[in-house]
Formats: sequence, C-alpha cells, structure tokens
Amino acid sequence: MLPRTRLLTESLSAAAVGPWSAFALNASAWSHNFLRPAAISLNIPGLIEGLWDSVLRAVPKKKTSHMKKRHRQMAGKALKDVKGLSTCSGCGQSKQYLSCGSADNAHPVDIFALAVTDKQILSASGTSSLKVHSTTDPDFPLVQSIDGAHKVGCHHVVTNGKGSRAVSIGFGGEIMIWSCHDGTWAKDDAASVNKATPADIWAIALSEDGQYLAGVTQDGHIKVWDLDTNGEEIRDYETKGSFGTCIDLSADGRFIASGHENGSVYIFSTESGRMPFSLSGLVKPVRAVAFSPGGKFLAAAGDSKVIVLYDTSSGEQVANLSGHTAWIMSLSWSHTGEHLLSGSFDGKVKVWSIDTRTCVATHSETEKAIWSVKWLSKIGRSVGFATAGANRSISVYREATGG
Amino acid sequence: MQIPGDLDNESRPLETIPATFQTPVQRYIQKTLSAVVDELSSPDGRPSITLKQRFRKPASLFLNPQTMALETRETQTHTTYTWPGSDANEAWRFAVAFRVLAAIAEAVQAGLVVSKRDIYYSDPPCFGSQRVVDTLVDDFAHTIRVDRAALHVEAAAKGLVVGYYQLTTRSREVVDARFSNQDVLIPRVQDIDQIDIANINWVLILEKEAVYRRLASSNYHITSAAGKGILITGKGYPDLNTRAFIRKLFDCRDQSTQRPQFYALVDSDPDGMAIMATYKYGSVAFAHENRNLNIPDLHWLGLRTSDIVAGPDPLGDEALIHLTERDRKRAITMLSKNPVWAADGPEQEWRAELQHMLVLNVKAETEILYDGDGGLVGWLDRKMLSSLKDSQ
Repeated sequence: MLPRTRLLTESLSAAAVGPWSAFALNASAWSHNFLRPAAISLNIPGLIEGLWDSVLRAVPKKKTSHMKKRHRQMAGKALKDVKGLSTCSGCGQSKQYLSCGSADNAHPVDIFALAVTDKQILSASGTSSLKVHSTTDPDFPLVQSIDGAHKVGCHHVVTNGKGSRAVSIGFGGEIMIWSCHDGTWAKDDAASVNKATPADIWAIALSEDGQYLAGVTQDGHIKVWDLDTNGEEIRDYETKGSFGTCIDLSADGRFIASGHENGSVYIFSTESGRMPFSLSGLVKPVRAVAFSPGGKFLAAAGDSKVIVLYDTSSGEQVANLSGHTAWIMSLSWSHTGEHLLSGSFDGKVKVWSIDTRTCVATHSETEKAIWSVKWLSKIGRSVGFATAGANRSISVYREATGG
Repeated sequence: MQIPGDLDNESRPLETIPATFQTPVQRYIQKTLSAVVDELSSPDGRPSITLKQRFRKPASLFLNPQTMALETRETQTHTTYTWPGSDANEAWRFAVAFRVLAAIAEAVQAGLVVSKRDIYYSDPPCFGSQRVVDTLVDDFAHTIRVDRAALHVEAAAKGLVVGYYQLTTRSREVVDARFSNQDVLIPRVQDIDQIDIANINWVLILEKEAVYRRLASSNYHITSAAGKGILITGKGYPDLNTRAFIRKLFDCRDQSTQRPQFYALVDSDPDGMAIMATYKYGSVAFAHENRNLNIPDLHWLGLRTSDIVAGPDPLGDEALIHLTERDRKRAITMLSKNPVWAADGPEQEWRAELQHMLVLNVKAETEILYDGDGGLVGWLDRKMLSSLKDSQ
C-alpha cells in the first residue's frame, strides 16, 4: 500500500508544480504585460475607465498554441520560473537546514556508510565495529556498538524499510546479516547469503521487506539473493564487466539500478530479468545511484560532479543537477521524493529541489570527504538528514520550521 | 673484489670465540660438508642438510614497541633436506641446498664476493629460478646467525644515492659527494667508516628511479627550498644494503645541526605503501634483521589519494588509474595480516589510506606531480617546508 500512495503523491505534485507550472505563470504574465499598455494608449473616457479592466478581462485570452509555448520555452525566451519566493535573505537559499547535533568522533576512522531506521542510525567505518546511534534522543546517544563485525573494516551497511534487518559488507568481502529486536541488533542466524560461486561483492541494497539482497560485484555482475531461503542466489545479471560501485533497489522491488566505474548505469527488471535500460550521460566513474521513493526517477552521480536524473519509464535523461565541484560520493531521496540530498568529496552537502531542479541548500561544515548522506525519518513535523565521512562524525540537520 | 680480513670480525661478536676455524661461517661449512661427505661414503648413508627456517607467515609478526621494527616471535623450526629423501622433490631440494653451500664455501675460501646471480647462473636448469637460490642463501645466513655479507654473497647493488654528504671508507678514502650530481650506487655499508651529514635538512627516499633521476639531474639535493639534503632510491622494494645505508644515515642524524627529517615519496597504491612500510618497519622476509634496518622516524610525504582527488590544488582525475585485482587483494592482505596496518597499529593514517584506495578504487603514480602547480619540485618544496616547520 505504501509505495502506491507514494507514487500517487509524487505524480500529483509533479503534475501540479512540474514543468506545467511555468505555463500557468506564463499565461497570467502575458495578459498583464501585453494587454495593459494597450489599454493605456487608447483614449478612454473617464466614465468607463473603472470598468475597462473588467471588460478586458472578459475578452477571451489570446490563444497561444502549445507548440509555440514549447518553442519559446526551449529557446529560453519563456518567463523564468519564480523560485525566489521564500529564499533566505542571508544565503540566497530557499531552504534552511540547521545543524541539530552530531555524534562527534563516532568512529576513530572514516565513516563509509550510514543506514537509517525510524529510530536509529547505523554507521560503518574503517574499524571493525558497527555503531548504532539513537535519533529519538536529541543528543544522539550511542545505543549499541557491534564490535568485531568486520575485522578489516566495513564499507557498506544497508537496512530494510521497516528497520528490522540490516546487512553489512566488509573490506574482506564478508557479508553479515543483522536483525533488530526492541532496538538491539544481533547477528541473524536464520538468514544467510549463499556464496557458492565466489564473487567479490562491493555494493549492496536490501529490499523494503528485507527478504532480498541485491549486490553488484567488482567484475560488474548484479546478483540477488533470497535471504530467507538459505540465501539462494536467484538472479545473476551480467554487464560489461566494469567495477560495480553502487546499487539501489526501487521501493516496490521491481527494478535494480547499478552504477559502474566506466560511467555506465544499468536498470534491470527483477520480474523479467531483462535490462530495459543502459543509461548514458556519465562518462566518469559513477559513485551513487538512487531511485526516487515512487520509482519515477533514478538519480546517478559520481566523478563527473553532476547529478543526472533519469525517467525510469523511458530511460531518458530528464535533468542535470550541477553545482558540486568535487566527486559526488552519495545520494539520498527524501521520503516524499521532493528533495534529493548529495554529498561530495570536498565535504559539501547539497539539497536539491526536484520540482525546480535547483540546489536549495548547501552545507560545508567540513573540508573532508563526505562518504554517506541519508534522510532521516520524520520526527514530528520536521524532516532532516544525517551526513558522515572522513571527519569521523555523524552530523544531523533538521529543516528550519517557519517560526 | 677483495675483502679485508678484519672486516668481518668487527660486527660479529661470535667470531671472537677462539676455535679451530676462523669464523662461524667456515666452521659451519666445514661441519656440514664433512658430515655430508661422511654419510655419502658410508654404505647406507643418508646425507642431510638442516636449515633454520625464516618466518614467512605474517601471522607470527608483531611490532616491537622498543625498536618499532617488524619482528617475529622466535620459535625454532628446522627443515632437513635429506638424500635420496622420500621423493624426487626432496632429493632435488637437497641437491640445490648442497650446491649453494658449496658455492658459498668456495667464495669464502677464496675470499671473493659472489652474487646470488652468479650462483644461479652456474647451473640455471638445476636451480630452476633465481628465487630458489635467494631463499637458500638467506636461510643459510639465518641458520649460521650472520648476515648475508658474511657468506661472501651479495645481491647486485641496486639503490642509488646523491646528496650533500661526505663519507670515509674503511680504507681511509674520502668520498665527497656534496657538489656532484653524479648518482652513485649505494656503497656497501660494511665498507663505510663514517658519514658526514652535517648541514643537511632532509633525506628523501623515493620509490621510483625515474623520479629520482629527474630530481638528481636538477640538483634538487642542493637547490631545494627546504635546504640541502640527500636523495635515495631503492628502485621499488629496497634491498638490504639500501636499507642499511639509510639506517646508517639515520643513526648519524644527531651529528647534523639541523637534525634532518626522513621522508618517503611513494606511489599512491598498495605497493607504494608496502615499500614505505619496508623502510619504516621492515620486511616480512627479513623479520630477523629488521631491528637493525628500520627507520622509525620516517615521514610519509606522499602521494596520497586526497592529494589528487581533492585538495586545494587538484591535479585532475585524468591521471588516476583503477586498482587491479592484484592491488585490491594486496591491500586487503596488508590490512588484515600486517601489524603495521592493524586497527590498533601505529599507522592509522596508512590504514585509512588503503581503505580510501579500496573505496575509490583508484591509484596514482608519483609522476603525475610533474604536471601539478610548480611541478614536482614545487610540490616537494611546499610539502617539505611545511613539514620541517612543523617539526621545529
């Protein structure tokens, strides 16, 4: 049920304030800017002057064909979108996220990955332990440290939608499955990944229900395991063999996207086992791919320093979000699909509006690499996100609420 | 090359023991060979050679907190090669061990120095590979508890050095290298009596010979903004003599008024890191000698992934190369097996660097600094000046 409602809100909001909003604005602007001067040049008796405006308004509007509008827009002559309605006078940004605490030096070395549940943040780093911080307490206290999880360090940790299961993968290539009971994580002995054929899995993603684990290998294979049936490998898609750097599963579980070192982005259908799209647009290594919550868009980014948005139904590139000046290491969609969060190697964190395709907030609290960014689940009415990286701390930001 | 007779006696206290034979090497050779000959001449003789094993398993390695060297826990394990042995392989092992020992005996007796390569080329089909000879020579040295030079066997000199120093050899010859940019092969440490390194600020160890040549030909050791110094390359993984020479410089650093700093500039890849670790902590193969060869106060000048990927003066990511499967395997082995990179080890920054390489899957060669702002010299000047400032 949940994915469907998300899909609905997303498509609705896109329809309401997507590219069409520009036309709505254009139409009203036309009537004001062109018809009013004409009214002044006519010598109108004072008697009907007050009426004139309403008379004019009663006249059918000048019809502009869709084609013409479209051409003007494509030629860059259309009126610009009004975006600055609520910009912050201080920084020119339209959204404000305030730092609302951090877990300083949560790990003694770089934090490479974050995973969130509705109450917790799990973090993986170059040390052997995974750490769990609570997000319900404003001090973000450490609630659990899973020591000795990955001897050589851990580079990816993911959770399912419910927050009942987590999977982590270490530098040694070992995959660990964890389950959560009353906020405490323990090794999940019921679940396993059968790695009969040795494959060097690098990035992983977990389905919403936690049953399926998808992974991309260093030689470009995309694999799916059913964790509840002895970790049987149920899918193995082959690509051109370029190192798989990142992977994501759509919320409805129908699609897998993978990003590769040679700049390739692939989308696979888990039902048909086919690859409907091999997406172009990035030439340099891709470091992050992420499906929007409704599955309408796929965002991909990496060393090219731009975020490319693809329409997942057509495979077309629908937008380029540029603004980062360093490699982009991580992407995360807000739960409504309205905003996209990105973190880069120079320590910058940006929030992008999907409606306007612009950057609405930038944070640069550190100059060290940001390895992972994640939206947090809503607490009360405020949304927020967490970032982590080479500065070894987890920083949490919340949207500034009007007042 | 004639070795003066008194040379070997100085560094080895064992040799002061009066015995029928002059040195433990000769004693050992005599004993082993005569035992083999005795066995061969008896009807059912089973000649054998017993060697003390060096430790090749990194699992037994640890960092000695006093010496900061990579050492092994000494547990005696011996391998005995007998003839004819249980199979053809063992017979062959005995044969090659015997031949290597015979070659050493010959060299010792004649007072000549032979190279490992000479021994190998005396009968390549028999030895099979150079590595077999190298291993056996080092095993013999370990068994007799002397270093390789005492066996009158040495590897062909490999390391190069140029710099603002003077040295006095044991034959009272003075070599003044101060104003020369003629690079020289690193002299045998056994031949050096004294090194004068007053007035130098730095010693820079380079992984790449090409980088070394570029710097040496531009007299960087004299013209550097960071003061005068010494450039050394071991051409990749250093040989024992290169390490011994740098250690000698390190032991002399107090005589310099500036107390020179020791820097390493290596490639940004797992091998570069391992080469730097070999200089600083020692190698796995020679764990028993590391305490005499390590340079505990070696600073890592570069190259870091972050120097290229980010940083104030990005060098562009076109120069980056992807790690090979071998690189990745090597990095993971280093992280999991070598105490230098351990989670509780002394080099957290090195550990993080290896992990960065794995996550980004990139490496870079030192040569990419040629194209940066100010070129290689400008980069080195900046790095060394800021480091020297910090150390004062």
